[in-house]
Amino acid sequence: MTNVVVLNSQIHRSLRVKGDASAAHGDSQRFVQVVITEFPHLVLQYPILFSKDADTGAFYCGAMLGFDEGENLFLNDGAGYDGYRPLNLQRLPFYTFGSELAIDLDHPRVNAEGGTPLFTEKGETTAYLESIMSAFRDLRPGIEMTKQFIATLMKLRLVEQIDITVEFDDGSTRDLMGLYTINQNVLRELPEAAVVDLFRRDYLKLIYLMITSLKQVAVLAKKKNGRFLKSTEGLAGRPDWLRS
Amino acid sequence: MAQAIQSIIIVGGGTAGWLTAGIIAARHQGRMKAGFSVTLIESPKIKIIGVGEGTWPTLRSSLEKMGVSETELFRYSDAAFKQGAKFAGWTTGAADDGYYHPLMVPQGFTQLNLAPHWLRDGHGQTFCEAVCPQAQICDDGLAPKTITTPEYQAVANYAYHLDAAKFAPFLQKHCTEKLGVRHVLADVQSVNRTEYGDIKSVVTEQAGEIAGDLFVDCTGFASLLLGKTLGVAFKDCSDILYCDTAMAVQVPYETPDAPMASHTISTAQSAGWIWDIGLPTRRGVGHVYSSRHTTDEEAHETLMRYIGPEHRNLSPRKIPIRTGYRETFWKNNCVAVGLAAGFLEPLESSAIVLVELSAKLIAEQMPANREVMDIVAARFNDVTSYRWGRIIDFLKLHYVLTKRTDSAFWRDNLDPQSIPDRLKNLLHLWKYQSPWFFDEFDRLEEVFPAASYQYVLYGMGFRTEVGPMDTVDTQPLASRLLHENMAITKRMRSQLPKNRDLIRKIVDHGLQPI
Repeated sequence: MTNVVVLNSQIHRSLRVKGDASAAHGDSQRFVQVVITEFPHLVLQYPILFSKDADTGAFYCGAMLGFDEGENLFLNDGAGYDGYRPLNLQRLPFYTFGSELAIDLDHPRVNAEGGTPLFTEKGETTAYLESIMSAFRDLRPGIEMTKQFIATLMKLRLVEQIDITVEFDDGSTRDLMGLYTINQNVLRELPEAAVVDLFRRDYLKLIYLMITSLKQVAVLAKKKNGRFLKSTEGLAGRPDWLRS
Repeated sequence: MAQAIQSIIIVGGGTAGWLTAGIIAARHQGRMKAGFSVTLIESPKIKIIGVGEGTWPTLRSSLEKMGVSETELFRYSDAAFKQGAKFAGWTTGAADDGYYHPLMVPQGFTQLNLAPHWLRDGHGQTFCEAVCPQAQICDDGLAPKTITTPEYQAVANYAYHLDAAKFAPFLQKHCTEKLGVRHVLADVQSVNRTEYGDIKSVVTEQAGEIAGDLFVDCTGFASLLLGKTLGVAFKDCSDILYCDTAMAVQVPYETPDAPMASHTISTAQSAGWIWDIGLPTRRGVGHVYSSRHTTDEEAHETLMRYIGPEHRNLSPRKIPIRTGYRETFWKNNCVAVGLAAGFLEPLESSAIVLVELSAKLIAEQMPANREVMDIVAARFNDVTSYRWGRIIDFLKLHYVLTKRTDSAFWRDNLDPQSIPDRLKNLLHLWKYQSPWFFDEFDRLEEVFPAASYQYVLYGMGFRTEVGPMDTVDTQPLASRLLHENMAITKRMRSQLPKNRDLIRKIVDHGLQPI
C-alpha cells in the first residue's frame, strides 16, 4: 500500500530516508521508465527501448536492467550500484503532487535503518533532499519531452517491435516480449525535410543513442552469465547438503 | 481504343455505398492523379435502413486497408467487439439449450481436424469448449484483446457490433477527407442509357447529369439501377428461409457501466428468433419472424417479453425482409452491392461481409476498359451467386438441425421441399465425414469456412460416424492440440480485460497502431 503525502518541512522535520540502492527498497526492477534527458548517461550501460504502459497502452521509454522479473543486474548486494542509477530509481520514495514534492510514508525506505535526514534542525533542506529535488527538476519536464519525442517518432512510423531472444550459459533462454525500438529501414528512407527537423529538435541524436544502446543487450547477458558463474562457485565452496 | 474505365459512380450512401467507395478508392489511390475518380451520389431525402449491426472479422482488414483508425471507429461509431454468436434454444428449446459459433477456428485447424477426435471422446466438453477458448471468454464477458494489443490485431479473433446510423457517416468522413471520394448530395430522377443498354449517366434533381464508366447500385431495397433500370429479376428464397419480417428496438442499459456481452445472442422463438447485440450506449434487439407462422401482435408481444416489462414503453420499428437475391449482380456497366443485390435474415451477419467481398472483388478486378468488363462481370456473377447460395445453405443449416417440434415454424423448416439439394447432400455426406479442408469450402474467400459448419453441426448435436481406428494415427497430435487449447483458454481468461472496460479505455487512451 502507499500513503503519499505532500512533504512539509514542519511535519516531516525529523523524517529519515534511506536513499541508497537496495533490492529490498525498490531497485529490483528489470525495466524502468526513463526520460530522454537521461539517454546520454543510460547509453553507457543499458539498452534503451520502448514499451507500452499496461494500463493505457501508451508508449514510454525504458531502460533494461535485467532479464527476469525483479532482476536488476546493476545492483550489487551490499555494495551499492554499478554506474548511473536511473532517476526513477533515485527518486524513490518521492513523488510529485502538482508542483509539490510528495513522499510515500509507507515505503520501506522511510525511517529505515541508516537513513539520511531530509531537513536540518533549522528546517533547511539537506544535500540528500536537494539531490531528490534535482532529480525531479529533470524528471518532471522530461516526461513531457519524452512523450513529444515518442509522438514524433510514431507519426514518422519510426517505431517497430523488436523480438529479443537471449541464450545463457546455463542453457536457458529468454524471449523478451513487448519491446520496441527504432525502425532503421524507415529511418534510412526518411525524406530530407523530416531528417533536418529531427536534427534541429535534437531527436536525431536520441535516435542514434537508442540504436547504439541495443548493443548493451549482449553486455547485459554477459553480466548475467557472470552471476551464474559466481553462484555455481558459491555452491561448490559451501555445498548446502553437507550441513545436514 | 476501347473506352477506359476511369469514372466510378456509386449511387446510394448507406453502409454498402460508403464501404464500396472506400474499398475501391483505397485500392486505386495511385490512379487518382491520372484521372481515376470515385463519386458517391446520396439522396438527401432517403434514410438509410441501417440493419447490419453485426459484422465479420474481414471488416478489420477492410477498414485497415482503407486507412481507417480503429481507435476512431470506437470513438465515433459506437462500435463494440463481437466474438461470435451464441444460439440459445435452437436445438431443443430447453432452458439450458445453447451453443456458440465463435470466430476463432479450432486449435491447429490447418494441421488437423479435431472434430473426429472430439466425436470419439469429448471428455464431457462441448465441441466449442474442447477446441477453442472463445465460449469461455464470452461467458466471462471478456474483450478479445488488451489495451496494449495494436489496432486491428487480436488476441482472440473478433469482428464488431456497429451502430449503422453512425458507421455510414463515419465512413463518409474518411472517404471524402482521406481517400478523395467525391460526395454529391442529390436525388436521381432518371437514368440515361447508351444504344448498347449501358448506363451513360444519371440525371439528378440537384446536381444535373452525372456521367460515368461503371455504376455501382447501392440504392438498397429500391435497386434503382440494376433492378428498376436494367430489369434484372429477383430470385425469391422465402421457400427456404421463412422469416420475412423484423421488429427492431433499441434498449437502454440500466446503468452506463452495465456489463456488455462481446457476442451476439440469438434466441430461438416459436416463429423465428431474437437478436441481441451489445453496443456501448445501448443494446440493439430485434425479433425476426415468419408472418406465415405468427401475427405482428404476437411477434410484438414476444419481443416485449424478451426485453422485459421495464421497457414496455419502447416502440419497435418494423422492417420487411425480402429473402432472396438478384439473378445477375453485374449487368452491362452496372453492379449491385448491398441490399440492392439481395437480402437475407441477419442470422449470421452476412450482409456487411458480402458488401466487403463484392467491393473487394470489384476493386481488385476493376476492368481496364469496357471491352473486358463483360468477362469480369461474368466472373463476378459466378462467384457472387455461389456466395449467396452458400450463405442460404448455411442459414438453413441452423433450422434443419433442430429437434424442436413445438410449433409449426420449426416443423415446417424440416420440410424436405424447403432444403436445398446441395445442403441435403452435404448433410448426408457429413454423417460419415466431418467438414474440413478438401471439402467444397475451399474457395479463396469463402464466406463461411468449414470451421463454421463444424461449430453449428456439433453445437446442435449432429453426429458424424467415426470408426474405432480412424483417429489412431493422429491421436498424439490431437491430444497435444486439445491440451494447448486448455492452456490457452486458461491464459486468456486470466489476462483479458472485461469487454466494457477495454472499450472505455480505447475511447480514453486509444490503441497504438503497432
